[in-house]
Amino acid sequence: MVTRDDVINIARLSKLYIAEEELDDMTKAMGDIVKFADTINNASEEGVEFDNINNLRNAFREDEIVPSYDRDEILKNANDIDEGHFLVRKRV
Amino acid sequence: MQYEMVAGFETHVELATNTKIFCSCTTQFGGDPNTHCCPICIGLPGVLPKLNREVVRFAIRAGLATNCHISNISKMDRKNYCYPDLPKAYQISQYDKPLCENGYIQLSNGRKIRLNRIHIEEDAGKLIHKRGDTYIDYNRGGVPLIEIVSEPDIRSVEEAKEYVERLQQIMRFIGVSDCRMQEGSMRCDVNVSVRPAGSDKLGTRTEIKNMNSITFIGRAMEYEFNRQVELIESGGEVEQQTLRYNDAENTTSPMRGKEDANDYRYFRDPDLVTIEVSDEEVDELRKTIPELPFEKAERYVSELGLSEKDAANIAKYRKIAEYFEAASDGVKNPKTAANFIIGQIFRRLETEDDKESFEIRTTAEQLKELIKLIDEGKIKNNLAKTTLEKMLDTGKPVTEFVSESDMADLDENALAELCKKAVESNPKAVEDFKKGKQKAVKSLVGFVMKESRGKADAAAAEALIIEIIG
Amino acid sequence: MAEGIITHLGGMLENKEISCTELTEKYISAIDSANGDLNAYVKVTPDEALAAAKTVDEKIAKGEKLDPLEGIPMTLKDNISTKGIETTCCSKILEGYKPIYDATVWSALKAKNAVLLGKTNMDEFAMGSSCETSYFGGAANPHDITRVAGGSSGGVASAVGGNIAAYGLGSDTGGSIRQPASFCGIVGLKPTYGAVSRFGLIAYASSFDQIGPVTTTVEDAAIVYDAISGYDKMDSTSQGRKGEPTVASLKNDIKGMKIGIADEYLDGVSDEIRTAIEKACSVYESLGAQIVRFKLPSLKYALPVYYILACAEASSNLGRYDGIRYGYRTSNYKDINEMVCKTRSEGFGAEVKRRILLGTYVLSAGYYDAYYKKAQNLRGSIVSAFKNAFGSCDVILAPTVPNTAFKKGSAISDPIQTYLTDICTVPVNIAGLPGISIPCGFDGEGMPIGMQLIGDTFCESTILNAAWQYENAVGAEVFRSSSYGVKL
Repeated sequence: MVTRDDVINIARLSKLYIAEEELDDMTKAMGDIVKFADTINNASEEGVEFDNINNLRNAFREDEIVPSYDRDEILKNANDIDEGHFLVRKRV
Repeated sequence: MQYEMVAGFETHVELATNTKIFCSCTTQFGGDPNTHCCPICIGLPGVLPKLNREVVRFAIRAGLATNCHISNISKMDRKNYCYPDLPKAYQISQYDKPLCENGYIQLSNGRKIRLNRIHIEEDAGKLIHKRGDTYIDYNRGGVPLIEIVSEPDIRSVEEAKEYVERLQQIMRFIGVSDCRMQEGSMRCDVNVSVRPAGSDKLGTRTEIKNMNSITFIGRAMEYEFNRQVELIESGGEVEQQTLRYNDAENTTSPMRGKEDANDYRYFRDPDLVTIEVSDEEVDELRKTIPELPFEKAERYVSELGLSEKDAANIAKYRKIAEYFEAASDGVKNPKTAANFIIGQIFRRLETEDDKESFEIRTTAEQLKELIKLIDEGKIKNNLAKTTLEKMLDTGKPVTEFVSESDMADLDENALAELCKKAVESNPKAVEDFKKGKQKAVKSLVGFVMKESRGKADAAAAEALIIEIIG
Repeated sequence: MAEGIITHLGGMLENKEISCTELTEKYISAIDSANGDLNAYVKVTPDEALAAAKTVDEKIAKGEKLDPLEGIPMTLKDNISTKGIETTCCSKILEGYKPIYDATVWSALKAKNAVLLGKTNMDEFAMGSSCETSYFGGAANPHDITRVAGGSSGGVASAVGGNIAAYGLGSDTGGSIRQPASFCGIVGLKPTYGAVSRFGLIAYASSFDQIGPVTTTVEDAAIVYDAISGYDKMDSTSQGRKGEPTVASLKNDIKGMKIGIADEYLDGVSDEIRTAIEKACSVYESLGAQIVRFKLPSLKYALPVYYILACAEASSNLGRYDGIRYGYRTSNYKDINEMVCKTRSEGFGAEVKRRILLGTYVLSAGYYDAYYKKAQNLRGSIVSAFKNAFGSCDVILAPTVPNTAFKKGSAISDPIQTYLTDICTVPVNIAGLPGISIPCGFDGEGMPIGMQLIGDTFCESTILNAAWQYENAVGAEVFRSSSYGVKL
């Protein structure tokens, strides 16, 4: 059972706004999806512990420096930059 | 009623690896903003992390040096929270299978502060707020950290300070971090609660975040202890919350309200594979753990005869301890080396950082040569002291400043000659002495020392002079 | 015998029947005339394509030998990072984003002078089965443009099916290569998890995502798979191809090969499709293979397991779109938190939001054990069920989709009904297995039907071999759509 409060809470954690007027619809939609997901709890079996898909171990990198990217490249896709920083300006 | 403080620490230590935890950018402190960055550490779409092998090794060594059990199997998890300094909106950390568990750090009063765990994770970037605008620099993002989590075993501000100092010394000794609190390479979150003395129940705790100085840790804990006691005494209740310490006012204040309570939604990071550490590898790493400062200090007292204070002062700094051990190895009296270090050498190393980096021109081998001359009675203390100053100034060996003739023993006749000469050439001092001014004899001895270029035995000279004057 | 377009074009270039520049121009003009109908491409890159073609022509002029993929005009799904070329995942939130690095697969193909025609349409962040959640609108099926091309790699399938690309790379998280390939009457291979590097693939669900080829024939799929598979040190989960290139064993005899049929795959499948699968069994028997029937009961939880785990991973993977470092940023906000929330709310479409919310829900305090953890354990069960199955057969034969391509607009209204159509494709992703969809007939309305061959991990050679033998037996040309694209 998914409540309006559940939806408000998960939207907050997900950094999404749901308008007041959409809240009932979203609660119902989430309720349906969760009900669908809930069918796994009908499974009688406990399941088998799952580690990672090919049971891989120890994929490491050596501690060797590779030159970093040019800052212009790093900042290239940003909406707003200043003095070599990513920037979020105050709005009024 | 008497109250007791109950405190525990979560300490973040930046590891001194060359590269970041999941990419090959440098971990160097500072640098122009966003110049130590690549697609991986700014979290561009499509990038994947690749774990730095050295991070795992450093963390295991930190665990071994703090008596932890090393897990043969561990994994990386995502801690999800959205904040502009965290480019992926999750921090890769370890949740339920940390690399190291169940260790402890012993304090000088014999109490063991238990460590719950040590795990590896990535650091976040840095936010700078200017006139309401937010500037973001990701140079620090992805720098490897270990988080050392203690049990609430600390009972006083003194214990807390010693805990942090010991932790700092251990990490520096094993070379996993420089632990510079002012640069943020070591930061502490402190949990504080109070309870009636003698009770074994835990009170509601508050957490003081991001402390970066031992002095402030002490003050903040003191303040928080008193605040909680006053609150309880006046019939109130301590609220579990996260606090910020304001050093200018020496107060704590809440950081965020309950409504912002986070739910980190930890789950295994599917981009990274299981970490498996064999017993053999742990044993190999165990061999790289040097004798730790407290062990050294104990040995300096019991085997080398140093005072506890001197032993602790030398053992505290890895480079100084190593220097002391090399300079005193095989000499008659190791205390001579300790005295030179704590006296003359420390005078040249004003700050903690100076002592930590320990850059002096005289090698341990050169100091040992000097000590050996004293041991053999070839030069006397006064000469040794002035010679050491010259050695420290120039980096040159003792033989540059002390000649063969300086080292030849002054025979009894020569000493008697010199004493006689002293009495004859200083009638004023002799006069004074005769009038009862005991101190006047010192200037006569000084004359003898100067004439003998420091070779004379000052005590013998003094006795002889008094005898001559009658 | 079914000659693939890659081999065909390669031959033409080598014999100097056409220059690479001419060939590329042909494709570019075909895109110009067909893309209005198909909406397969969201970005066309003629300059880059012609530059690569020029390099190839110079090599040909010098008499140098060409790699099979050299000079072949192709496309990439819009979630594969291409340095300097807009890569949006067909989401408003990545509007204008130009990667500063290449995905490993694209580096590998670029090194072979592949001719990139452009980036193709997809469901937003690969979340969908019809391509209709794309910010740019869905791609159309080249067999009937009133129908969907499928999803999420709908654009690649539409382009290859309509021959406005000789081949393409898609990504498959729950069927996103195989399902549109099935809908468009072409071949789609989802490799074993770890065979192809994911570095540079914009993540939907990291433990399910794999890049794979979308081609007109099995041989083409093998050629492309051999080129893109390989160990990549940038991807911790990468292992690369195991064994010889798959092209070498493509034409091996399959006498005695055991082909498994699991009843669960046929539940709820349309009669026409069931019949097509039974017919395929007969073809295999006539080739000397043996049909083995068995059960895979744990498949009944495959769909919810997939949606729980994939959405959980997605909710975390998509947290980074906050308007700070790249992509769309809202213009009105009070503080950073509001900027982030508004950017995300305005930048993501409805299906993406639904999946983020579901993922957040199943990971949140109090629900983790009942959903995420339980699903993870059932994933373990499904992995071992397949392991057991491969003890008694070499490949599993199954439908790719329970239905053929549906009309545009019919899926979007009911998300759960749409999820259910992924029933035959998601098990492969859950278990990390290789699966290929190849055409095996048409329904009564003339829409292609696809069948799926599933192998044990890293057994791409086996399924490609089985697929090639089938295709060779029935002839593949009949499935190609003739109304669009380059005429050869």
